[in-house]
Amino acid sequence: MRNAFGAYLRKRREELLGDSPEYSIRKVAAKIGVQPSYISKVEREEVAPPSEATIIRWAETLNEDPDVLLALAGKVSADLRDAIVKRPKVFAELIRELKDAPDHALLRVVREVRDGNW
Amino acid sequence: MIELKNDSLVFSFPEVHPSATLKLHFQRTLRIPDDDSTYPLPPGLGQFPLRHVDDFGGQVPAQWIEHGGVMFPMYQSEAMWICFDSEYDDDREVSYPFAVKIATGKVSAVSGETWKNGVNRDPQDYVVVPEQPWLDGYCVEKGVIRQFVAMPLGAGYTAEEQVTGKAEHGGLQILAYPMKRSVYEELFPKVSERVYQRNMGVSEELSYCAEAPADMGLAPGGRMKQEIYEDSYRLSDWDLKNSSRCFVHIANSMVWRSITGENPPTTPPTSSEYATAGLPWFEWYDDKNNALPGADPLTGMKSVATIGKEKGDVPLPENASVNPGNVVTLRKDLKPGQVREWTETADRP
Repeated sequence: MRNAFGAYLRKRREELLGDSPEYSIRKVAAKIGVQPSYISKVEREEVAPPSEATIIRWAETLNEDPDVLLALAGKVSADLRDAIVKRPKVFAELIRELKDAPDHALLRVVREVRDGNW
Repeated sequence: MIELKNDSLVFSFPEVHPSATLKLHFQRTLRIPDDDSTYPLPPGLGQFPLRHVDDFGGQVPAQWIEHGGVMFPMYQSEAMWICFDSEYDDDREVSYPFAVKIATGKVSAVSGETWKNGVNRDPQDYVVVPEQPWLDGYCVEKGVIRQFVAMPLGAGYTAEEQVTGKAEHGGLQILAYPMKRSVYEELFPKVSERVYQRNMGVSEELSYCAEAPADMGLAPGGRMKQEIYEDSYRLSDWDLKNSSRCFVHIANSMVWRSITGENPPTTPPTSSEYATAGLPWFEWYDDKNNALPGADPLTGMKSVATIGKEKGDVPLPENASVNPGNVVTLRKDLKPGQVREWTETADRP
């Protein structure tokens, strides 16, 4: 998984760099707030993925979905973690139940406003 | 199916038609003076936050959980209007029609009748969307409504108490029926089919026919120019086998934080402050639809200020008359879901 993370970031940045010089290692590093050498190391998978906050800034800089990048880094965002920790049994069952469901079926899992007796 | 999305209630009927979706939200607004003058439409000042009552089971009355639905906060004597937005179908260049019943304390805001499931044509107890873009209050005269104003349930001011003599339900009740798919497709053919029909000599008319938290209720406030339109379809055009309904509870804003942990919206400006600042009021015309007459049970209601006077009470602070000098006229070609507010009117039709 970790390999997928660095390679994905590099591929995505290089694609964007083809259209705009704003995506050079130096400029991306400045936007994220890290050293250029750190960007290279992460992209080459020489270091472990960064913190959640850095990954979210990285996602913003590359116009990527933060949840997708967090997942590639083997992480879960703090808000999702909190939601699961709050009701572990319900969410564990839900995720196991739905893990193999196709996307179109997952999109149908919505919360309805409950109607009662009145 | 009803979902809660971005503080809007979304009624969708995919089993009827892919475009059969109605969004509805509650707009904060000025309370117009309750002085028997008739005022233009006040602006929208943003949506009230809506929450599932089930998420706050320990903090709301057991009766709210029994009713289900959603809730939002209002200060006593604060006003509100309802904004309707049905999904625009690009293929047919029309928004999907709905018949929508709106009741407060289980008393229809259109007919003044007590709640029954189903729709009634005589007297009409529902509004037709998209013809009716907004509803600001109770239909008391042809072309005149009395504004929805929040008052504590049990104090004798609410429409429910005035019409039924009881303070049992409070809140708002909403029931939506989509148009039947077959009727919709016949009345509003796809644009591509319309061209074909025109070429085949079919009439162009087909293209358009046309503690515990304080439980709040809604009461009739000041008079406002607003027409509630007669249904121009047949009763049988509505799909009465498919409907969704929702109980919307109103919590006193003073206890909203203790229920939800969130701050309620701040109090809106007074009508006087708003008018003095020269900000716009609105008028809306639709000469293709007929306005309903006032409903007898609603016409007989007393306004909050009148009851207050009889009780020797001052239920409405800041009730001075105002002169709305800046009145913007809106017409039927509104953008879908357009809210009447300052920012929207900058590029109004």
